[in-house]
Amino acid sequence: MIQLTNVTYSYPRAETPALHDLSLQIPAGQFCAVIGANGAGKSTLCATLAGFVPHFYRGKLSGTAKVAGIDIAGSSLAELAGTVGLVFSNPFNQITGARFTVREEVAFGLENMGVPPAEMAPRIDEMLRFARLSEQADQSPYALSGGQQQRLAIASVLVMRPKVLVLDEPTSQLDPIGSREVFSVLRDLAATDEATVFLAEQKLEWVAAFADRVLVLHQGRLVADGPPAEILASPTLSQYGLEPTRYTQAARAALGAGFRPQHPDLPVTLEQAVEFFR
Amino acid sequence: MSSTPFSLYIPRDSGMHRLHPLTKLALVGFALILGLFLPGDWLTYLAFVLVILPLAAWAGILPRFLPAVLKTALPIVVSLFLVQGLFWPGGTPIFHLGPLSLKQEGVTFAIRSAGRFIMVISSFLLLTFTTRPDGLMLALSRHGVPNSIAYVMLATLQIVPRFQAKANTILDAQRSRGLETEGNLFIRLRALFPLIQPLLLGSIVDIEERAIALEVRAFGRAGPKTSLLMLHDTPAQRVVRWLLLLASLAIIGWRVYLGLAA
Ligand SMILES: Nc1ncnc2c1ncn2[C@@H]1O[C@H](COP(=O)(O)OP(=O)(O)OP(=O)(O)O)[C@@H](O)[C@H]1O
Ligand SMILES: [Mg+2]
Repeated sequence: MIQLTNVTYSYPRAETPALHDLSLQIPAGQFCAVIGANGAGKSTLCATLAGFVPHFYRGKLSGTAKVAGIDIAGSSLAELAGTVGLVFSNPFNQITGARFTVREEVAFGLENMGVPPAEMAPRIDEMLRFARLSEQADQSPYALSGGQQQRLAIASVLVMRPKVLVLDEPTSQLDPIGSREVFSVLRDLAATDEATVFLAEQKLEWVAAFADRVLVLHQGRLVADGPPAEILASPTLSQYGLEPTRYTQAARAALGAGFRPQHPDLPVTLEQAVEFFR
Repeated sequence: MSSTPFSLYIPRDSGMHRLHPLTKLALVGFALILGLFLPGDWLTYLAFVLVILPLAAWAGILPRFLPAVLKTALPIVVSLFLVQGLFWPGGTPIFHLGPLSLKQEGVTFAIRSAGRFIMVISSFLLLTFTTRPDGLMLALSRHGVPNSIAYVMLATLQIVPRFQAKANTILDAQRSRGLETEGNLFIRLRALFPLIQPLLLGSIVDIEERAIALEVRAFGRAGPKTSLLMLHDTPAQRVVRWLLLLASLAIIGWRVYLGLAA
């Protein structure tokens, strides 16, 4: 579904590339998370998958990037909209400001795609239910909390039925309650096998909870790729400026203090930690 | 974040609210023409009473509309009367106030200008109080106004409250770092400089993100668009719009004729 081959990209006037010789394949239905320290290139990678690199930020892109069979450099943003959905951190800036209610905000993308109104209504209702915003349907998008606005942004993109959903740290500007609301919607998304999701995230505990696969970016390079339990518990994590989950940290401390677990695998989720300390 | 984008619109279930946005635009445009082009000093006020007020009453918004008009117009109207009435050069005094005197010509001029001003303000407020901006923009883009221009008009309507909110946030932040924002004019002006940079820089990132958000939602896509919002138009309303347009032209013509004849 996503196919990158030797992708290197530099922002205009940048001396070093923000993405360095990236190659990877993501099959349909996979929930893939990318982690990495500040400036590692997560946002740039997200922007590439959605076509904003190179169609918005310009700069120099080499190698090939394909999403759902479409060559990104060879198509346009207008063609890619609807195929790749992008959600980013600032919930406020993702509200179009052109629509009056939450329902109409969700409709905006469908209107631009020319979907007939009779077909829109059921799709919107279904999406609002999924994002748990049915009760807010007739409110102004600006009257919502940050977490609700971010769920609205997700719903507004998902309703267009993109082949791939890209999320760039969707909770980094939310309070803990708002973050939890957004992650619980993402967890539902992960549970369905149809959605192909690419999530850039710094909160490793959430990544561990529902990603199928974790990529680690470091200074624009792909330095690790594998299942969450393996990647997140790896001792190399700190080399890339990342802090292991508190479950892994607690387990390491316990091992250091002489604790002998029945299974030696380091935990990365709460459930695994319970097992580890049993 | 609390400011709503369409804060001026007052939702009501009235006949006026249900009119097609272009019909409302034509009505209000007609009222505006009346205000600006009717001859004499008092006809403008008559138009306010006979056109604007009944429309506002029909829309069921009089209790909010009248104070809004008053609040917006009063300072200008009062200063018009004071400045023009008292300082009209070499006019006929009708009333003495110590060393000052009220001049007949100044008062006449103030009455006329105040009437026009009230008509402009009240027709603008009537339109924004009773018309959803997105409906108006939809109607305009259906009648040939390009989508991007319609969006810019719509977004501009919200930019003022957003800038205000943002400026306040930055001012608070600056103040908490010890910046003087109160005191005499000079101190306040100086406080504006550190404000400008974050306000502009902040907004460039915002504008970029907004552009991205619109692209993600296929805003740049060519081809026919649809709309969830339904606009109800009737043949009768179409006729009324044409009549209003003709009447507006007739009033302008009449005024030009009077001007030429004089
Ligand atoms: N618009 C831009 N123009 C020029 N350089 C940029 C731009 N955006 C990011 N960069 C640079 O590209 C590199 C990768 O940045 P990117 O934003 O992709 O990292 P990130 O992993 O998303 O970091 P963060 O966790 O801070 O969001 C950084 O060195 C950054 O300075
Ligand atoms: Mg980033």
